Amino acid sequence: MKGNVTTAAKCLQVLVLFFAKSAELTGLKQEEAVAVPTPISSRDLWTLLLRRHPRLSVLQDQVVLAVRQQYIAIGDQVVTLGDGDEVAVVPPLSGG
Amino acid sequence: MAESEERRDVFKLSRDWLSVQEVVDTVSSASCGAISVFIGTTREDEVGGRKVIGLEYEAYEPMAQSEFRKLCDDIRERWPTVTHVCVHHRLGWVKVGEASVAMAISSPHRQDGQQAIQHCITQLKAQIPIWKKEVYDTQEASWKENAECWWAAHNKPPPDTQL
Repeated sequence: MKGNVTTAAKCLQVLVLFFAKSAELTGLKQEEAVAVPTPISSRDLWTLLLRRHPRLSVLQDQVVLAVRQQYIAIGDQVVTLGDGDEVAVVPPLSGG
Repeated sequence: MAESEERRDVFKLSRDWLSVQEVVDTVSSASCGAISVFIGTTREDEVGGRKVIGLEYEAYEPMAQSEFRKLCDDIRERWPTVTHVCVHHRLGWVKVGEASVAMAISSPHRQDGQQAIQHCITQLKAQIPIWKKEVYDTQEASWKENAECWWAAHNKPPPDTQL
């Protein structure tokens, strides 16, 4: 075993919100106390949600997330989550 | 803007039919010679032999408010003479022929208001977390996607992953 110390990711709980098509696919408007590590890339966060709700794969490449009401594209961008944060699944918009 | 006048940026989501008069009254100002208005109405479209009978709208309400505030800041940066902005948007069931969105922008002269209102509806479609589902006379339904929304199908993502 090497002697160096790495900072372990924290694990905390977030509230996941589902809108439009994602709510139909999961059958849920929201899910409380979803355990997630932090920090986490948006891609890993999406993968985590896919594991919980495989039907969300229909939205692959046509979805973004919103963390604390800020849009985050699915990719390498790393987010730091706080306990109780809102994470929303955001299908393509169609207001107006 | 008159010195004592505070800028108004009003965004309202409503399950009731929209009053264009209320939207106009919200932006009226003695310092403004122009009120630019846009109303989006529900079209009776025919898609693959099925007729649209109405739309069902939902929204991520707190985020729609915060994105609207960002949009107003953007509008005022581009057109500093814009005085007041008001957008009312429906939620829930909207029949064909009814207004889904009504917006008004007041400005001292018409050029800025007219350009700002175009930008306002375009950016609403691109950025505000609202979704609509078309409901057909066959009782089928389908979630729509705005071309303005960059993560819609057939659109390429931007090179920078942060919005």
